[in-house]
Amino acid sequence: MSALILISILGVLMLYAGLMAPRKVLAPLGIIGLLAALFLLRSGWNVNTEFFGHMVQFDGFGLVFSEALILLTVLLFVFGVDYYARLHENVAEQYALMLFSLVGAIMLTSYQHLLILFLGIEILSIPLYILAGGKRDSFRSGEAAFKYFVQGSFASGFFLLGIALLYGSCASFDLAVIQAYASAPIPGTEMLFLLGLFFTIAGLSFKVAAVPFHFWSPDVYEGSPTLVTAFMSTVVKTAAFAAFYRLIQYMDLPKALDMMLVVMTWLTLFLGNIVALRQSQFKRLMAYSGIAHTGFLLLAFLGRDPLTPSVLFFYTVTYSIATVGLFVVLTLAKRAAKGDENIRIFKGLFRSSPWLAIVTMLLLLSLAGIPLTAGFVAKYRVFLIGIESGFLKTTAFAVLMALVGIYYYVIVIREAFTPRDKGPQLVVSPLNWLVISFCGIAVMLLGLFPGLLHL
Amino acid sequence: MLYLFYLIAAISVISALTVVSAKNPVNSVIALILCFLSIAGHYVLLNAQFLAMVHIIVYTGAIMVLFLFVIMLLNLNRAAEPMKTLGTRVAAVLSGGLFFLTLLAALRNGISVTAANAFDPGVGLVHSVGMSLFSEFLLPFEISSVLFLSAMVGVVMLAKKEKTWTPPVRNAFTEKPLTEHELDAEG
Repeated sequence: MSALILISILGVLMLYAGLMAPRKVLAPLGIIGLLAALFLLRSGWNVNTEFFGHMVQFDGFGLVFSEALILLTVLLFVFGVDYYARLHENVAEQYALMLFSLVGAIMLTSYQHLLILFLGIEILSIPLYILAGGKRDSFRSGEAAFKYFVQGSFASGFFLLGIALLYGSCASFDLAVIQAYASAPIPGTEMLFLLGLFFTIAGLSFKVAAVPFHFWSPDVYEGSPTLVTAFMSTVVKTAAFAAFYRLIQYMDLPKALDMMLVVMTWLTLFLGNIVALRQSQFKRLMAYSGIAHTGFLLLAFLGRDPLTPSVLFFYTVTYSIATVGLFVVLTLAKRAAKGDENIRIFKGLFRSSPWLAIVTMLLLLSLAGIPLTAGFVAKYRVFLIGIESGFLKTTAFAVLMALVGIYYYVIVIREAFTPRDKGPQLVVSPLNWLVISFCGIAVMLLGLFPGLLHL
Repeated sequence: MLYLFYLIAAISVISALTVVSAKNPVNSVIALILCFLSIAGHYVLLNAQFLAMVHIIVYTGAIMVLFLFVIMLLNLNRAAEPMKTLGTRVAAVLSGGLFFLTLLAALRNGISVTAANAFDPGVGLVHSVGMSLFSEFLLPFEISSVLFLSAMVGVVMLAKKEKTWTPPVRNAFTEKPLTEHELDAEG
């Protein structure tokens, strides 16, 4: 709770710093504040405190996800130093909005009350709508902001309707009461409960970009500034998955909804992987690969095994680390290519900067799930949990789709290692080099020693 | 009291019909304001003062002013109204009719929900809303300030005038304005 308050205050401080202080103190201020928040979270370990009459509960699940989210934001802030160096104004506002969004994300990891869930989603989303339109002179950025805003509001509307119906059937917003109701529904109100849960799950599926609620993701990823895209595909996705799982963790879902989740998993796996095969723009490729990864994460949901939280944590963290690294490389390559985002901008990367090419390869292999990288361990654990909880056909399909997925990652690797007289001349600042190397080494280490990161 | 209800209900229904049937969009908006005011009257009759006040402030005040502004800015008139094709009209009537039928069927069977808590006539009073807002729902109340703050920051960020006006950037060689890709080169 104190971490939550600290980050909110940090956002306000950031706005003041934007007015009074030189720009180069902004990112360090944010990073120091976030590390302090991390320290405050650390002190809450094994205490399992709940606040405000069971509104939020910082249990192990919430704490560990909050820490991961804060660390990812720190990584993105380090990336931001160079990213925002050439931007003329609104830098402090963008950092502050990211911090506010993080507040929402932390609420999502540890809510115990549906109102907090709803507020968390809104606090997460509203700054994102603005950040997506951060490049004011770019048409695509405006398009992304508007599309995200309209579709996001629509999803929020459905979500709110779902909460109202749930309240109608259970007479409570408390997660524990709703879970108790799900095990022993009052006759006559099952339909209301089913509809309420359906709309709630639909709203959350929108946030994690599961098919058929994924339509926003490619356009928004493509149009947003790259740093914001990285924020969306890491922090936001992790938080949304934590919220989703927290909702259904101890709940006996009605048969129809269990069925719906399985169908959604199939559709998401299929569409994400197949459509990604035909993408030539790197950001769109990452968007569809993100949808595909949503499918794998949904597979871990289905059984609601006691091990699911740790698998979920490992998967989202390794996916996020690899994604951040790739987006940093993309930014550098895009600058060298004067704004082009086609995957051919990586052509000859190995010739001009071998280390970057090797790290890019590692990160892509991790996303593809090749052994010795973290992504392999993550996917392996997901499949294991799928088999253990009896979803054999779905798991087999997921394995097939993972194999299909390797193709589009390898295409990018092939571009990077294609010899060319003059590769792209990437200008790498020391901090960016640090971020990229950290991501590469982390992915490798977690692949070799998965025990380093556990719940 | 009952006659008051009938009066207000009649006003709401008539004004709602005017909203959809008025030719001039400004008249339509005025009728919508009337409709919202009469709905606020229903809230007062149900002893929900707080809801009535919020309804008037938010809907009748803020949102309708926004509507009027948008209509004036868009300069809507008959000529600008897009013509609907026959196919669209038939599809609209069909889907509307089907939806009406579904609603009718649902109402015929009825969804019976027994109230979990006994009805408390004082629940909508400003006093009790304030009490629960500042005790039971303190956290959501306080934390929504982060939401509003970020919305305000966003408005300032997106609407603020650029400090200096720069002429459209042109490519040094071709003298053509820069393409979208070239403009997007940063990030």
